[in-house]
Amino acid sequence: MPKLIIDTIAVEVPEGTNVLEAARSVGIVIPHFCWHPALGKAGACRVCAVKILEGTPKGVQMSCMLPAQDGMVVSTGDEEAVALRRSVIEWLMINHPHDCPVCDEGGECQLQDFTIAGGHSIRRYDGRKRTYINQYLGPYIEHEMNRCIQCYRCARFYQEYAGGTDFGTMGRAAMIYFGRQQDGQLESPFSGNLVDICPTGVFTDKTARFRARYWDYDMAPSVCPHCSLGCNTIPAARYRELLKVMARRNDAINGWFICDRGRFSNAAVNTPERPRQPLVDGQEVDWNKALDTLAERLQKFLEIHGPESLAIVGSPRMSMEGNIMAARLRDFLKAGTLSYFEDTELNRRTLEATGRLTRDTSASLADVRGADLVAIIGCDPSEQSPMMALAIRQAWRKGARVFRVESGRSEAGDTGISPLYESSHADSVASLPLAEAARPVLICGTNEAGLEALQITPPAKFAFLLNGPNAFGCAELAAEQGAASLAEALAAGTIKGVVAFETDLADDLPDNIQVLATADWRATALVERAEIVLPTTAWVEMDGTFINNEGRAQRFKQVMHPGLPIKGLTPELHPPHGFRKTAPGSEPTPAWQWIELLMSRMGAQSLDAPLSGHWERLKQLDPEQGGLSVLHERN
Amino acid sequence: MEQVLFRHNHPDRMVSLEEYRLEGGFEAWAKAVRAMSPDEVQQAVIDSGLRGRGGAGFPTGKKWSFVPRDLPGPRYLICNCDEMEPGTYKDRVLLEKNPYLLVEGMALAAYALQVNHAFIFIRRGYEQAAHNLRQAIDEARRAGLLGSNILAGGFSLELDLHQSAGRYICGEETALMNALEGLRANPRAKPPFPAIKGLWGQPTVVNNVETLANIPAIIERGPAWWKGLAAIPEAAGTKLFCISGHVQKTECIELPLGITLGEIIDGPCGGMRPGSSFKACIPGGASTPYFTSDHWQVAMDFDAVAKAGSRLGTGGIVVFDQNTCMVGATLNLIRFFARESCGWCTPCREGLPFVQHILERIEDGLGRPEDIDILREHVQRLNYAFCALAPGAMGPVEGLLRLFGDELDEHIAKGKCPFKGSRSH
Ligand SMILES: Cc1cc2nc3c(=O)[nH]c(=O)nc-3n(C[C@H](O)[C@H](O)[C@H](O)COP(=O)(O)O)c2cc1C
Ligand code: SF4
Ligand code: SF4
Ligand code: SF4
Repeated sequence: MPKLIIDTIAVEVPEGTNVLEAARSVGIVIPHFCWHPALGKAGACRVCAVKILEGTPKGVQMSCMLPAQDGMVVSTGDEEAVALRRSVIEWLMINHPHDCPVCDEGGECQLQDFTIAGGHSIRRYDGRKRTYINQYLGPYIEHEMNRCIQCYRCARFYQEYAGGTDFGTMGRAAMIYFGRQQDGQLESPFSGNLVDICPTGVFTDKTARFRARYWDYDMAPSVCPHCSLGCNTIPAARYRELLKVMARRNDAINGWFICDRGRFSNAAVNTPERPRQPLVDGQEVDWNKALDTLAERLQKFLEIHGPESLAIVGSPRMSMEGNIMAARLRDFLKAGTLSYFEDTELNRRTLEATGRLTRDTSASLADVRGADLVAIIGCDPSEQSPMMALAIRQAWRKGARVFRVESGRSEAGDTGISPLYESSHADSVASLPLAEAARPVLICGTNEAGLEALQITPPAKFAFLLNGPNAFGCAELAAEQGAASLAEALAAGTIKGVVAFETDLADDLPDNIQVLATADWRATALVERAEIVLPTTAWVEMDGTFINNEGRAQRFKQVMHPGLPIKGLTPELHPPHGFRKTAPGSEPTPAWQWIELLMSRMGAQSLDAPLSGHWERLKQLDPEQGGLSVLHERN
Repeated sequence: MEQVLFRHNHPDRMVSLEEYRLEGGFEAWAKAVRAMSPDEVQQAVIDSGLRGRGGAGFPTGKKWSFVPRDLPGPRYLICNCDEMEPGTYKDRVLLEKNPYLLVEGMALAAYALQVNHAFIFIRRGYEQAAHNLRQAIDEARRAGLLGSNILAGGFSLELDLHQSAGRYICGEETALMNALEGLRANPRAKPPFPAIKGLWGQPTVVNNVETLANIPAIIERGPAWWKGLAAIPEAAGTKLFCISGHVQKTECIELPLGITLGEIIDGPCGGMRPGSSFKACIPGGASTPYFTSDHWQVAMDFDAVAKAGSRLGTGGIVVFDQNTCMVGATLNLIRFFARESCGWCTPCREGLPFVQHILERIEDGLGRPEDIDILREHVQRLNYAFCALAPGAMGPVEGLLRLFGDELDEHIAKGKCPFKGSRSH
């Protein structure tokens, strides 16, 4: 552990840390453009200059290129270093268009910040600026090459980190171009990260174009709900509209990046067609009326059919809080069935897979990135959970061997080349050279092949791709509460009615089943069919908890208030002649709260908060502390 | 004067393999591969005092000695024939006259380094030289001088010629390796140095054509003899000088290292052209600061030229007469460097066009006194570029400021170029 002195502050950092990171560790921010923690050093921009007073090499050096060494004395404020940094900013500003007022990056722009920090303010170059022709890169990403400062981050990310081949560096000298051979949608499923990683406004989120400045956003730490990995995000909203989603760093999971599905799937939150008003038999009612009617009808149902014939259905896309309350509702009504998974096999396999994982055997994405052998068993990471595929690529880039386990489908030894990694075929888990690996990770689908792989003894770690952001949590609850699959209960023929929460029950729910109510924020088939509809909040409109595929509980915070986006108002509502205390479309309420309200309406006394009892330990979850494994109580 | 590199040359054509061998060609190679150890070959090169002819003048034997012999995997040797430094054309002449010399030199270097696969990276425009080399490699292979188990000595060597797509930066050794690997020709960070981690991550030596072409003579006649070819005791061997500009004879000539600038110009160059008098020259290729008549007596050797404030570089001498505008000459050079920047780092990519803009402004009569400060600043700050291209590019600007400050001031004060319209040729 080298010890060095940076601006009179003594610093001790792990071997291999560069001077720039060492300075960051004690809060000294040295300007940098090309260096990025996930991409490493490039030495291209030359703005991170410092002066080495003691140690080798002496003099002005680029802090990103220089490993911190024992006994080094570094000055970040040295006159010569500062002068060089000022020059670098001047050079970059020679051609930068200064179009901040119409640039979506304005306010969240590294170039703005470091230009101010660099102290360059008076223009000495009086020639023409160079200009470029921009490209159409698809519906998600805007391209404005004039703003480019040639830090090469985009190309390094896109090609090296993410294995993309349709975008890169072209040209030379002062006419370097970052783009595609021709106009067209970026092919990489990680293209949206260009928006985050570009330090200036070359790549901006087209879906949020010209909508808001950084200081206008409603933002909060959140978790992606679009698959089971639980990548960390920062959604940004304004005027009751979810505008964009940015990656939030979590070194154990997604690192610095997210996939395009996680970034560009906002439409469902904003759509005016979303259930926003409680409905009884298709009629809009206020929430009191909806709850009264539901209480009444439930009462009647229980009297006629008996509690045995009622099923309460939770869902792997609903928060822990909602699913815990679903179980309490079952207890309260003594309903015959509680179900979290519709499909019987999926229910069994998910419980088995999650039930057998321990702290030592459950692999995080960081474990995958650090693996020396990765086997893909009965799943398609690129399709199901793109960030898993990106993690596999990082392992592969560092030399890990990647295997696809598919019995008898291809010749042994054949090589699969995806843009992300090369893999070889293995016939069975037993044929994997696990003994040669120090850090093997098996990535499994929730199926028989995946479960079979679990027979392997440690040190192998496992990552299961589950069905939904809270599938792990649902499996925990199902085990704890003795929940069955809905299909199983239906097959037994006892069920006559269901109350469902944020579920995607298949259309083929038999006609003779009475859908007493569904609570959801998505316009599902069940919403069409339910007698009573309770609109719920989407994940960005509430605080909640998901447990991801590795058993890591994570808290997401409310980003925005529910309500019709202002641009979604109907012409009749404009100008707004009514005087209302709440925003239009603001009825949605978290599912767990609907359940609480319903239970107290039906006479339940002294309701505990959802995260109580066994789940009390998740109450203090801090969204910015990386999450908490629920596996710690296991063997 | 003793000729080592041009000994076998015919005025009008390339030497043939038979002719080369009749005059002792490939004898050094046969001797080495049969009777010398790799270390003995390397030691001879160290003893000879041979320094790199590609521009930096790094001692060749020393460079070889950095290559670790115990790392697993292959080692590589690359001959750098990118030769795009303006004013430099020695490697082309050498290869057009006698490609066998390079083949033999590379074989010897490869043997010393125990390299079994070597590459020649040649500039795209050098079609004739490439053609000659291809022929020479084929013939040498057929004659059993390359290939496997060469001359039954147990050593094997494959030699591949790569015709580059071409750019000045491809001559920088790490950019060259990227280009050879099919990547963009951006230089790589050092450390790690190529001797440890070079082509495809393996230990690699990059040497210039002329450097390698000297090795057969060193092995054949011995390092002491070769060293003694120089004009002064501090120097070693001969050097190809490429002369251009306002002298009588512009050609590539082999001369003893350490000969003075004046001797070169007045001797083999036949003096200045009629009506021209010597004003300045670029002593060692476009990236070296100017010499003036004050430097007439400077011995043209690495250390002496460096001591006099410039660099021997590649030995490309460009001579300017009294009617040459040094601002215009410098601008011309800077245009080249700005265009040839690889675009990787900010100081070079953006700084050189800025310098170009300032020089254009001054040359067009729009210069301001503060422009001199901007130029000075750039001379200093471009030292912090990622590779040696940008500091090299500022060589002539540094020379301009140091030696021709009055000419710059005159441009600015008069609001025009004092040489415009006064050129005699
Ligand atoms: C911008 C740039 C261009 C260069 N071009 C050449 C070249 O064309 N030929 C060459 O031999 N060396 C060139 N060099 C020097 C090489 O990097 C390297 O030092 C040289 O090939 C080593 O060979 P030597 O030790 O035999 O001189 C160039 C260096 C720089 C920075
Ligand atoms: S486009 Fe952005 S990320 Fe790419 S080089 Fe330019 S400034 Fe850097
Ligand atoms: S991999 Fe999954 S959790 Fe991560 S961003 Fe993509 S969809 Fe969201
Ligand atoms: S100084 Fe920088 S931009 Fe110029 S050639 Fe070298 S690496 Fe490329």
